[in-house]
Amino acid sequence: MSVGSHRTQPDQCVGSISQVSDNCKGLANLLPCYDGPVPAAFTRALIGLSVLSAAAHAQGVINRGAAPEPKPAFSGRAFQAKFKDVAATAGLNHALLTVGNSDSKKYIIEANGTGAAFVDVDHDGWLDIFLVNGSRLEGFPKGSEPHSYLFRNQRDGSFVDVSSDAGLKRAGWGSGVCAGDYDNDGKTDLFVTYWGPNALYHNNGGKFTDVASQASVTGPEKEWSSGCTFLDYDRDGNLDLFVTSYQQFDPARTPLPGKGANCQWKGVPVFCGPRGLPFGSATLYRNRGDGTFDDVSNASGIRKAKGFYAFTSVAADLNQDGWIDIYVACDSTPSLYFRNNKDGTFDELATEAGLAFNEHGHEQGGMGVAVGDLDGDGSLDLIKTNFAGDYPNVYRNQGRGIFEDEVVRAGLAVNPQYVAWGIGLVDLDNDGLQDVFQVNGHVYPEIDNAKIVESYRNPRLVYRNLGGGRFEDVSHIGGTGLAKKASSRGAAFGDFDNDGDMDAIVVNMGESPSLLRNDLGPGAHWIQLRLRGTKSNRSAIGAIVTMSAGGRKQTLPLLSQSSFLSQSDFRLHFGLGQASRVDEVTVRWPSGFVERFTDLTIDRISELVEGSGSSQ
Amino acid sequence: MTWLFAILLFQTAAELTDEAQRLAKSGNTAEAEKLWQRAIVQSPKFFPALFNLGYLNYSLERFEQACEFLEKAAQISPNDFNSHYLLGAANSRLGKIDAALRAWRTAETLQPNSLRLLQAMIVEYGKGHYYEDAARTAKRALSLNPALPNLYFLAIKALQDAGDYARAFEIASQAVQRFPQEARAHFEYGFHLQKLGRVEESLQSLHRAMELDPLYEEPRYFYGDLLLKQGRAQESIPHLESAIRIRNDYLPARLELARALMSLKRWDEALRVLEETAKIDAQHPQPHLLLSQLYFRRGDEKRAQQEKELSLRLRRNKPELLELPQSRPFR
Repeated sequence: MSVGSHRTQPDQCVGSISQVSDNCKGLANLLPCYDGPVPAAFTRALIGLSVLSAAAHAQGVINRGAAPEPKPAFSGRAFQAKFKDVAATAGLNHALLTVGNSDSKKYIIEANGTGAAFVDVDHDGWLDIFLVNGSRLEGFPKGSEPHSYLFRNQRDGSFVDVSSDAGLKRAGWGSGVCAGDYDNDGKTDLFVTYWGPNALYHNNGGKFTDVASQASVTGPEKEWSSGCTFLDYDRDGNLDLFVTSYQQFDPARTPLPGKGANCQWKGVPVFCGPRGLPFGSATLYRNRGDGTFDDVSNASGIRKAKGFYAFTSVAADLNQDGWIDIYVACDSTPSLYFRNNKDGTFDELATEAGLAFNEHGHEQGGMGVAVGDLDGDGSLDLIKTNFAGDYPNVYRNQGRGIFEDEVVRAGLAVNPQYVAWGIGLVDLDNDGLQDVFQVNGHVYPEIDNAKIVESYRNPRLVYRNLGGGRFEDVSHIGGTGLAKKASSRGAAFGDFDNDGDMDAIVVNMGESPSLLRNDLGPGAHWIQLRLRGTKSNRSAIGAIVTMSAGGRKQTLPLLSQSSFLSQSDFRLHFGLGQASRVDEVTVRWPSGFVERFTDLTIDRISELVEGSGSSQ
Repeated sequence: MTWLFAILLFQTAAELTDEAQRLAKSGNTAEAEKLWQRAIVQSPKFFPALFNLGYLNYSLERFEQACEFLEKAAQISPNDFNSHYLLGAANSRLGKIDAALRAWRTAETLQPNSLRLLQAMIVEYGKGHYYEDAARTAKRALSLNPALPNLYFLAIKALQDAGDYARAFEIASQAVQRFPQEARAHFEYGFHLQKLGRVEESLQSLHRAMELDPLYEEPRYFYGDLLLKQGRAQESIPHLESAIRIRNDYLPARLELARALMSLKRWDEALRVLEETAKIDAQHPQPHLLLSQLYFRRGDEKRAQQEKELSLRLRRNKPELLELPQSRPFR
């Protein structure tokens, strides 16, 4: 028998009828041998060759069984950032995050989890924490329903629960959060997505009022909204709002676990979907400047995109034309990239631009998105997290909005065993290079009782940026907070203790959150920049800041939502390494105005005001 | 008219079957078939006639009919290995993976050490994405006869599919030592060296596979692919081209070549490769996906959109082309 796939001839041991023996005995030698070739390694190429029927594809989520790529030899360098979970001492432990049953999931609504926000809601210069909460299908006795949480930073490493006083105790199936000062009154507002009407929490100065209905942004009632981002797409200085929905979820029309064509995982009956369930949608609301919004989804061309299960949305100028674009991570469907046409319309160009699929053109189970400049070339790159059995995407910007997935070369294709969610491109060790922080957790608790290598609760991952767009896994030396196993979802990044390094708040399914304090030792310098728009929207969402120090340039965007359905610190954090001064900061404001700032003091937080031409 | 005469002459099913055997041996299969059918009319549970009809239909590639007779034969004689084995083979040819495996699992209980059966089962388990079962069976088959190169190759693939890369590499190492003249052994070893990050050693092994079998296209493709992964697009091109010269419809090599050319901004050459590829496999979405990206990079957004839409339509028509479902246990 030959071994090559195409050169193999049918085996000769399929006997002709003339070879049939007289008595049917001794036929074994004449019976057909295995008459195909030894399957060629060809099938291991990244182009699938499956010939199975649709019924065999009984998975609700796309998967391609990717194997881990080899880890490059470890550099041996120490990693100074050490993460410790201080949630208990910080007073966050009573914030139980409930999203369905912890042991088994009946419907997909119980599986996807929620986001978190690091946002300074009382504008005292210290980050507060907002946590979106879910619910459970069986419901709760009145008065004991899980609700969202707002924790006010007490400036001593601890937080106090002010959810009730702040008016943020809404119960229900929450999903994501994004922040922005939509009415330019100097106070950061919150938008929270739900299965059901969404909430726009107007910040009255530490207390909030849900004005979604008056502002016309509640969305359709049956929609299960997921992502959201504030952005000023028309450059009028008012923040508009983009909202995605994961699907139109209706339990009455959703098959039970194992009972449908998309309700299996590796032979284990699990909840159905997203495949086979109704798709979600995307909505763009234009801010009228009077506290209300118009739904411009049709007029803007956003609604032309169809057939997706949308999660995290990020707004940033991805093609470097000065106008803010939108990228949406989609689950088991091609992801979306809406290019701003500068005339109030968008074209969906993810496929053309290289942002819809992986490098081999496969759809993926997209979850979260990080935006930053991972190779220091001044253009914004994206990293998208995906389902298990797959790598994240490292979309390196080739210029003019053209991207290539370079995940293998980047060294991030080494841990495909996890379902990955929240992610940040953040300089964790202040060496001037943006590192990767990723949280993980499977969607099927049932796998813990099956003979499957995967597990529901997973550790966190940190990859150090080695420069040149390459990373190495340093999770094993990144502190005890990374090793904790949880089924994590949202993650937000920020410096909650104002000590000059980036911390993380992580949502864990069925548990309290993790507050991962970065105990970075002294030695490396840093600077944090708080931006205030004047002509631009006051939050300066959409600004791109390039900082030059020590012969190196770093670029960061000011984002509303990112990671997984989460809102990170608006202050932009730059590690400076051993550089003792900042040479220059250039801000490309959302209005299009480009401004230089010099004379910035290191190791402190500075505010840059549009048009002031100097730091404050 | 021999069969009419025979029917008149031979009265019992056994007699008819004996005569059918004689006719079959002399090449007169059509006459033999009629006698076997007459035999089962006379005696519907007459195993030799049922089995031989199953065998005859299998040989004539009438697999549905083969299954009908073989199922009956297997029911009548549940301990007959050959009936179950052939029933599995017929189902396999019909693409009925689970039915084939059910029949073969019964056959396995009757002859647990049949290498022929075990090889067939390994392949079928793989087709059904029952990777753990394939790996388990492959390991057992290899332990029965460690002298057959094909058992190594089947085991390597099964273990790799099941995610047991360490054991797959171990067997690939053994294969290359035992069968140093087998191109496939060097190819497998090179493939797994790459998985361990030993790039230069991997390239050497792949090169050795190409030397041993100049018409073996897979090492050429993976050689080029590995170079491209290393950012060595220019060097990858001749290897990808040589794989395509050996097999013109080698789609992964064609797409990888197009990617290499696009990364070097050799737009016209990439365009030519992709257009040829789209003609070779008109139902595959990937050439159109890359064409969409190519046109977009050249600033032709209209054609980029057309190619995108075509690619997405083809993808929806045949989603299985681009997916590899995860392993599952055979039940």
